[in-house]
Amino acid sequence: MLTCNLPTARILAVEDDPLLASHLQQHLQDSGYSVSLSGDGREGLRLAAEGDFDLVLMDILLPGISGLQVLQSLREQRGVPVILMSALGGEQDRIAGFSQGADDYLPKPFSMDELKVRIEAVLRRVAYERREFTAPGLDPQLQFDDSRTDVCLRGQWADLTQTEFRLLELFVRHPEGLMTKAFLYQQVLRRAYSRHDRSLDMHISHIRRKLLALGYTAGRLETVWGKGYLFTREGV
Amino acid sequence: MPGRHSLFWRLALLVMAFCLLIIWVSWSWGGRIEFRGYLLSEAAQQQLLDYAAEAEQAWRSGGAEGVERWQTQMQQRESVWLTVLGRDLRALGTRTLSLTETERLTAMRHIDWPMSKRASGLPVIALPFPQQPLDGQLVIELPERFLPEGFTWHAQLLVHGLLPCGLALLLCALLYRLLITPLQHLREQANALRGEQLSVRMASQISARQDELGELGRAFDHMAERLQGMLSLQRQLLRDLSHELRTPLSRLRVACESGLDAEQLRQRLEREVGGMQRLVDDTLELIWLGTERPQPPLEPISLPSLWALLVEDACFESGWPQAQLRCRLPEDCCVRGHLNGLAQALENGLRNAIRHSPPGALISLDGRLEQGDWLFWLEDQGGGVAATELEQMFLPFIRLSAARPGGDGFGLGLAIARGAMQMQGGAMWAENTGEGLRLNFRLKSV
Repeated sequence: MLTCNLPTARILAVEDDPLLASHLQQHLQDSGYSVSLSGDGREGLRLAAEGDFDLVLMDILLPGISGLQVLQSLREQRGVPVILMSALGGEQDRIAGFSQGADDYLPKPFSMDELKVRIEAVLRRVAYERREFTAPGLDPQLQFDDSRTDVCLRGQWADLTQTEFRLLELFVRHPEGLMTKAFLYQQVLRRAYSRHDRSLDMHISHIRRKLLALGYTAGRLETVWGKGYLFTREGV
Repeated sequence: MPGRHSLFWRLALLVMAFCLLIIWVSWSWGGRIEFRGYLLSEAAQQQLLDYAAEAEQAWRSGGAEGVERWQTQMQQRESVWLTVLGRDLRALGTRTLSLTETERLTAMRHIDWPMSKRASGLPVIALPFPQQPLDGQLVIELPERFLPEGFTWHAQLLVHGLLPCGLALLLCALLYRLLITPLQHLREQANALRGEQLSVRMASQISARQDELGELGRAFDHMAERLQGMLSLQRQLLRDLSHELRTPLSRLRVACESGLDAEQLRQRLEREVGGMQRLVDDTLELIWLGTERPQPPLEPISLPSLWALLVEDACFESGWPQAQLRCRLPEDCCVRGHLNGLAQALENGLRNAIRHSPPGALISLDGRLEQGDWLFWLEDQGGGVAATELEQMFLPFIRLSAARPGGDGFGLGLAIARGAMQMQGGAMWAENTGEGLRLNFRLKSV
C-alpha cells in the first residue's frame, strides 16, 4: 500500500440535501476524517476560503449559487483540492467543472466506498507531491532513464511513452501496493476517473506488452478487479 | 455564381422583362397619346368644315363679290387671317394676295394633321369645298380657341406616372406569387410544429422544387422529421424506463413485506439499487448519444491491446476461461476512433455474445482491411437470431430472450454500442453466420 501517514484530514462538505449530508459526515468521520458541513453555496465558499481544509466536497447544484461558481471563486483565493458531486452526469458538466479546476468528479448516486477511494486518491496525490524521492536502483532488471522517459533491459529500450514511463516508475517504486484507478488518474493522468474511461487500462495493457517483448521477468502488473492495479514481485 | 436551378435566374428574368415592358409601353403609348393630343377636336373640325361650306355657298351664290363679302364678315366673326382660293391657288375674291400671304400658303395643313403653335404662330389649314373640292378651298388660320392642348400634364401623369406604377404593382404581384406563397406553406408548417403536429410535411410542390425555396422546404421537413424522431424516442424511452423500473421496485416491495432478516434485506437492496442505477446510467448515456450527437476527438487505437483488456474484464465477470475468447486480428491492427466509445461498443458486444453462448463455445474477433477501413467482427456460437430481428436488436429495451437463452440485461447494450460507433464515424450491424451471430463493426484505419 502507498504509505501516507496523514494527520486527520479536514474535509468541508458542501451539500444541500440534509439526509445525504449527514450520511456523508457520519461515514467520513467513521473513516477518521474531520468533517464540517455546509448546506449553502455562499456559506460554503466563505468557510472554504477562511478555514484551513485539506479537501472540499461540493455539489454542483446548490441553492443560492452554483457549485461551479463557488469553485471558480474559491480557485481565485485558494488551491485547496475540490471534488465535485452531481446528479447531472452529463459530459458537458464534467468538462465545464474541470476547466474551472475541480480535481475530481463523482456522479450521483455513488457509494461511500467509492467516495472514500476518491478522497484518498486526491489526498495521496497532494501528499505525494510534497515528498521528495531518492531515486536509482528501483528495479533489479530495468534501468530507468528520466531524460528519455524510457526503460532499458540488457541494452534494449522498451519504447515507452511519457505516461507509460511515469506509470511504470510509480508502480516499481511501490511494489505490492494497490494503486486505485482514482489515484492513478490523479497522479499520472491528472484528471478525474469516470466509469467508461479506458485510457488507464490501455496504458497498462501497452506497458504489459512492451515489458513482455523485452523479456522482463522481475515483476508483473496485476489487475485487482473493480479496484485498480498492483505491481508484484511475488512468484517471479 | 448561383446554381442552374437558383431562384436568381427567375428573378432576373422577371425584372428584365419588367424593365423592357416599361420602356416599350411608355414609348409606344406615350407617343400615341401625345400624337392624339395635337389633333383638332371633333367640334373644331366640324366648325371649320362648316366655314368651308359657307365659303363654297358664298362663291356659288355671289361669285368674287360674294366671297369678298363673306371674308369681311368672317374677319369680324373669328378675327383670324383667312382667304378663299381657287384650284390654282389664286384668290377667288376680288383682292389679290400679298407676298406674305402667298408665303403662308406654302405651310398649309390638312385638317386631320397634328397642330401646334411651336413652329411659327398659328397653323394655317386648307379646307377644300365640301361639295365641289375641285372648285376651290378655304384657307384659314386656326382660331386660337381650337388649338389642341397637346401633351397635357394629366396625359403625362398617366403615361409617366400611373402606368409604370400599375406595371410595378403587377411585378409585385408576380414576385409575391413567386416568393411569398411558398413561404406561406413554410409558415403553416412552422405553426403546425408549434402546435406539436410533428407529422405534417411540406406540400410536394414546395419540397420538389429545385431552387432555394425547395431547399428550405426540405430542410424544414428534415427538421420536423428529426424532432418527431427525437420526441417519439424520448417518449418511448420514458415509457420503457418506467416499465423497467417497475420490476426491481416490485421485487423490493415484496422483499419489504416478506420478513427477510436484515442481512438478506441489505443484500437484496444493494442488488436492486445497483440494477436501477445501471438502468438510469445506461438510459442517460443512450439519450446523450442520440440527442447531443457528440463528436469527440479521434485517436489511433490498437485493437488487439483493447481486446486484451476487455477479455480480462469479461473473464473476471463471467468466469469464462480466456482460451474461449480469441483474437485473430493481426498485431498491428490499428483503427482511428474514440477509445472509450470503441471500448464500450466492443464490451457490450462481447457481453451480449457471452450471455447468449452455451458453455464451452468459442467467441472470436476477426477482421480485414477494406478500402482504408477496418471491418472487424465478433462471432459467437449462440445460434443467431431470426432475420427480422437483426435490425430490431439495436433498438433500446428490446430483448430477444425468447429466441436466445440468457438475458438479464435491459436490452440497452447494443443500442448504446451502435450509438457509440456512430459517434466516432463508424458503423455497426449484425448478421447470422449459421452457427451464431456476427456483430460487424466498421472504423477508419490509421
